Amino acid sequence: MNPPRRELSYSTVNGSNAEDVVLIQRMCDADETALGALYDRWMRSLYSLVLHLLKDPDEAEDVVEETFWQAWRKASSYEPSRGAVSTWLLTIGRRKALDRLRARKRNREDPVGHDRTFADLPSQAQDPSEETEGSELRQHVLAALQELPAEQREVLDLGYFKGMSQTEIADATGQPLGTVKTRMRLAMQKLREPLSMHREVKE
Amino acid sequence: MSHDEAFAELAAVALDAVSADVAGAVRAHAAACPECGPELAAMEETVAVLGELAPSAQMNRGRSAGIRSRLVVRARAERELHSVPAAGPPDISRGVASLTGLGHKTTPSGQRAVTGETKRVSPSDPMHAPIEDRPIRRMSSWLAIAATLALIATGAQLLRVTSDRNAMRARLATADTATSPSDSMTVALNQKDSMIAAMTGPDVKVVPLSNATAQPLGRMMWNRASDDWIMVTYNLRPPRPGMTYQVWLVTDSAKISAGTFRPDAAGRTVMHARYAMAPDALRAVAITEEPEGGVPAPTGPMVVSGSA
Repeated sequence: MNPPRRELSYSTVNGSNAEDVVLIQRMCDADETALGALYDRWMRSLYSLVLHLLKDPDEAEDVVEETFWQAWRKASSYEPSRGAVSTWLLTIGRRKALDRLRARKRNREDPVGHDRTFADLPSQAQDPSEETEGSELRQHVLAALQELPAEQREVLDLGYFKGMSQTEIADATGQPLGTVKTRMRLAMQKLREPLSMHREVKE
Repeated sequence: MSHDEAFAELAAVALDAVSADVAGAVRAHAAACPECGPELAAMEETVAVLGELAPSAQMNRGRSAGIRSRLVVRARAERELHSVPAAGPPDISRGVASLTGLGHKTTPSGQRAVTGETKRVSPSDPMHAPIEDRPIRRMSSWLAIAATLALIATGAQLLRVTSDRNAMRARLATADTATSPSDSMTVALNQKDSMIAAMTGPDVKVVPLSNATAQPLGRMMWNRASDDWIMVTYNLRPPRPGMTYQVWLVTDSAKISAGTFRPDAAGRTVMHARYAMAPDALRAVAITEEPEGGVPAPTGPMVVSGSA
């Protein structure tokens, strides 16, 4: 007898979002052990992202700690209707990392900034243990990313990894602001298609 | 902001690529718009998936464990801070500060867990157990080992203790003979006598404390006969926001927390603890900067230290 097929969900990479929501609820009730459990589930994903953004292990560790502390302090602000807990955590962490990148830029202390692009991303999961259903979604998103026209991908690179605003991107690329906005919107719409398809399969 | 304008900015908002003003206006619109709300959520989810595309990286296990421990300890300390009833144990630092006329001192959050008792404690308990294996209420225990720290006053020079004691004694001598033995002035005097006794005598070991550049910043006095520990600091800069200083008694096998403290504006501190230790066990005294509430084991930079 075959085992039941697990539904596709990127959040199943580290367990269901429902489990994360329970942890958030416990954090709202001031249960610090839930914070530890949430850390165990998402520390690696968060650290991977912020390290990729910052290229500095010490700073990445600081951001991880700040992110989980903010999650503890602001647990009650999490709204399940706005996305998975992992989305919330990674969004907080990315913003904190971008704040640091922007501070570096102000201080002109970011010699490795140009190295961060989507081209750095692996073409497939590196660790066989990560070959879960969630990694399948990542592969679809990655494929969509690689199919983007170069100019859309460039806009996404600058916005996602460099933390540049649309205005800054327009200045950097010499393109009109409206063009940058259009490219960014089109790129994001193409990337979200795999997510939409995944949701339809799930439902 | 119109619907079309907001819709055009959704991707940029999800990517955090617009100003805070624009993002705020878009989010306000999306919160009430049945089309933009779900679209923005989907865009943000897409951004999060992009985050998961980052090459998997493994944080150093020891450092990861340290971060986890700090987070849980801070959260626990914060919870206890908010759960302490108004009629809870007295804040000994406030009480003694008022007795010595030094004014009120802000007590670190973790200090709440430290009782004002001066009972002797065993060095064996909770410090050495994995933090997650301990009941929640044990948080106070590892701080309590801290030599059942009694943070008596901040901003006092020890010589001032003596002069204060003499002044109090003179006032007591002229006071109403019906004064109760439990009168606060008597209690204060006894505490000062206790401190002076602890700092004198043949069994007192003095450990000079200095920073990395050998600048003298204080001393620890350990009365090995009475198990009293008195630490004095001076010219110690305040800890960074959200941080506190934590004192460690270092032996060959352990780093024992002696509690947290925050110096006054002039960098002065006087701490008194009572803790039994073998006369030849102490190797060093160290002060590290740690998150408020303290930590079970040192994690922050060593600000001050001294060899025994």
